[in-house]
Amino acid sequence: MSATELSSGPYREAALRVAVKNLYIYVVLLLIVAGFSLVRLGEVELFGPGHFLSPDSLINMLRTSAPILTVSSAFTLLMIAGYIDLSVGSAMSLTAVIFALLVREGAPFALAFAAAAALGVGLGALNGFLVMRLRITPVIATLVTLSLYKGSALLIVPSGLSAIKGRPGRPMPAWINDYSRAEVLLGLPWAFYIALLVIAALVVVQRRTLVGRYAAAIGGNRTAAELSGIDPVRWVWGLYVVVGLCAALAGAARASYMSLGDPLSGDGMELDCIIAVLLGGTAFAGGEGSVGKTAVGALIIVCVTTGLMTVIPAFWQTFAKGSVLIGAVALNQLLTRDRPKLA
Amino acid sequence: MTSEAMTARAEMGPSGAFAAKLSNESFLSLFMVGVLLALFAVACVFVPNFYLPRNVINLLTNYWYVIILGIGVTFLLVTGHFDMSVGGNVALTGVVCAWACQAAGTSPNELANGLGLPYGAALALALLCAAGVGAVNAFFIVRLKVPSIIVTLGTMMLSRGLAQVITRGAQRNTSLPDVFGVLGNTFLPGTSLKVAVLIMVLLVAAAFALERSTVAGRITYLIGANAEAARLSGIKVNRHLTALYLLSGLLAGITGILLASEFKAGVSSRASGYEFDALVIALLGGVSISGGFGSVLGMFVGAIILSVVTSAATGLLLSPDWQFTLKGVVTFLAILAQRFALDRRRA
Repeated sequence: MSATELSSGPYREAALRVAVKNLYIYVVLLLIVAGFSLVRLGEVELFGPGHFLSPDSLINMLRTSAPILTVSSAFTLLMIAGYIDLSVGSAMSLTAVIFALLVREGAPFALAFAAAAALGVGLGALNGFLVMRLRITPVIATLVTLSLYKGSALLIVPSGLSAIKGRPGRPMPAWINDYSRAEVLLGLPWAFYIALLVIAALVVVQRRTLVGRYAAAIGGNRTAAELSGIDPVRWVWGLYVVVGLCAALAGAARASYMSLGDPLSGDGMELDCIIAVLLGGTAFAGGEGSVGKTAVGALIIVCVTTGLMTVIPAFWQTFAKGSVLIGAVALNQLLTRDRPKLA
Repeated sequence: MTSEAMTARAEMGPSGAFAAKLSNESFLSLFMVGVLLALFAVACVFVPNFYLPRNVINLLTNYWYVIILGIGVTFLLVTGHFDMSVGGNVALTGVVCAWACQAAGTSPNELANGLGLPYGAALALALLCAAGVGAVNAFFIVRLKVPSIIVTLGTMMLSRGLAQVITRGAQRNTSLPDVFGVLGNTFLPGTSLKVAVLIMVLLVAAAFALERSTVAGRITYLIGANAEAARLSGIKVNRHLTALYLLSGLLAGITGILLASEFKAGVSSRASGYEFDALVIALLGGVSISGGFGSVLGMFVGAIILSVVTSAATGLLLSPDWQFTLKGVVTFLAILAQRFALDRRRA
C-alpha cells in the first residue's frame, strides 16, 4: 500500500489508538505529579520544603516505593500468564519479620538477607505447588496461603508485642536502616537501586526472553501453549517462585526502612500490585502486558498515596484507594477492549 | 454421574440404590457433617465443657452474621464468581443506618449529628446503599466483564472507605433513638437466642428452598456448570448474575443493620475480614468455584465447623493470632479432603 493510503481513515485511527495505549500512562503520571505540585502552591513555595517536588519529599517517596516497585514487576509476569497471587502482602510481612528477627539476634546483613530471600522462594514455591500441582483455583489457593503466611508472621512475634523490635538487652542494630535509608547515590538507598535492577531484569525477561514469551502464550491460550510444547506447570510454578522472591526483597526493604518486623506491614500490597498492573494496561485474562508500564503504574500509586496524605484527612484514604482501583479497572477496560474475548 | 455408573450402583442392591440417589452435593454435605462430628468429638476430649448444651447452642448460633453473608457468597461462588465486598458493605449499611437515625443539627460535635430520619426511612436508606454496592459490582462484573475478585476488592474498599468517611474514621453512637437498638437486642421468647438467629435460620431455609426447588436456583447451577451453554439455552445469564449480586448486597445490608442495632453504633471497622470468613465457610461446605457445585446447607455445616475450630482454639487458650493460621490450614485440608472424597466416589 502506498504511503497516502496508510495515512488515511481507519489506519490513522488504529495508529492513534496504539499511540494512546502506549503513552497514556506517562500522561497520567505527569498529570498527577503536576496536580500535587500545584495543589498547595499558596502555602509552600515551588520545590521548597513541604512541597510535593521538594528534594526531601521526592527522596522519601522513592525510598518508600522500593517494595511496590519490586513486587509489582514480578506480579505483572504472573498476571500476563493469567495467574494471580493474593498472598504477596503476607509473604512480604513474614519475610520482614524473619529478617528483623535474624538481624536483632546478631546475624550479619548478608545472612539475614539471604535467609529472607530463601524464605521468599519457599513461599512462592508453595503457592506454585498449590496452584499448579494440586490445581486449586489461584484465588482460593493464594487466599489460603495469605492466611497461613499472615498467621505465621503473627505467631512469630511474641504476644503482647506488635512487631519484632529491639528488646532491653537486645537492641536492634542501627545499621538495619542502611539498606533502605542510607544514601548511596543521588540521596537514594540500596533498596531503591535493587528495585530498579529487578525492574530492568524483568523488563528484559518479559520482552526478550523465552520466559516472557511463554508467559504470554500460557496467558493467551493455555491449551494451545501446552500443545505447542510449553509446560505451563513448570513455567508458572517458576513465576510464582519469582513473585515470592520479590516479595521477600520487598519485605527486607520494608523491615530495614522501619527498623522492625511488623507482621501487618505488607497488608494491602496485593491490592497495590493489582492497581499498578491494571494501570499498566495488562489484560485481566493475561496474554499481554508490560513490566515497564506496571512500574510506571506503581509510581503513580506511590505519588497518589503520598500526595493524598497531605491533601485529605486520614479517614478518606481507604475510599480514595478504592476509587483508584475502580478507576484503574475502568481505564484498563477501555484499553484492552479491542482484544478479542475468548470464551 | 454417567448412566453406566448409575446402573452399576443400582445393581449393588438397596443400599447401593440409595447411595446412587444421593447427589454429589448431598454426599459432600454429609461428608462434611461427618467431619464436623469428628472435630466436635476431638474438641470435647481436649477442651473442658465443650459438650455442654449451652456451648453447643453457642457453636450453632454465634456465627449467624457470617452465615447470612455466606448465603450470597455461596450462590455467587456456585456461578463461579466472588464477592469480597460483603464486609465493607456490612460496615457501610450499619454506619448509614446510624447516621440516618441520629438527630439532626442538635450538637456542635460533627459525629453526633445525623439526618434525623425516622427508623423506617433509615432502614430503607441503608438497604438502598447495600443494594447500590451490589449494583456497582454487577455493573463491572456482568456488563464490563471484569474479573469478580478485582472488582469486589475494589468495592470492598469503596464501601468501607465511605463508612470511614461518614464516621470520620471512628463510629457514630450518640443521639440514636431507642428503637435503633431493638432489632439487635430482642431475645426470642423463652430462649437466650437473639432475633438475628431466627432471621438467619429463616434466610438459610429460604435459600435452600430456592436452590433446590425453584427455577432460579437451578439456573444458578446451570450458569456455574457452563455459562455459555446456559446462555445458548435461553437463560438470561446477565440478568441472573445481576440479581445474585444485588441479593448478596441486600443480605450484607440486613447483616449490617442487625449488627449496628446489636451494638447500638455504626462502626466503620465492623465486619473486618467477614468476607474472607464467608468464603471460607462456603469452601468448607464443599462449594466449588468450578462446575456449579455446592449447597447452602453445606455452607451452614462449614460455618459450624469453623465455629467448632475457633471455639476449641479459644478454649485451649490459644491466642487470637492463631485464627489466621487455623483458618488457612482448615480450609486447605477441607479442599483436599473434599477432592479426595469426590474422586473416590467417582472411581
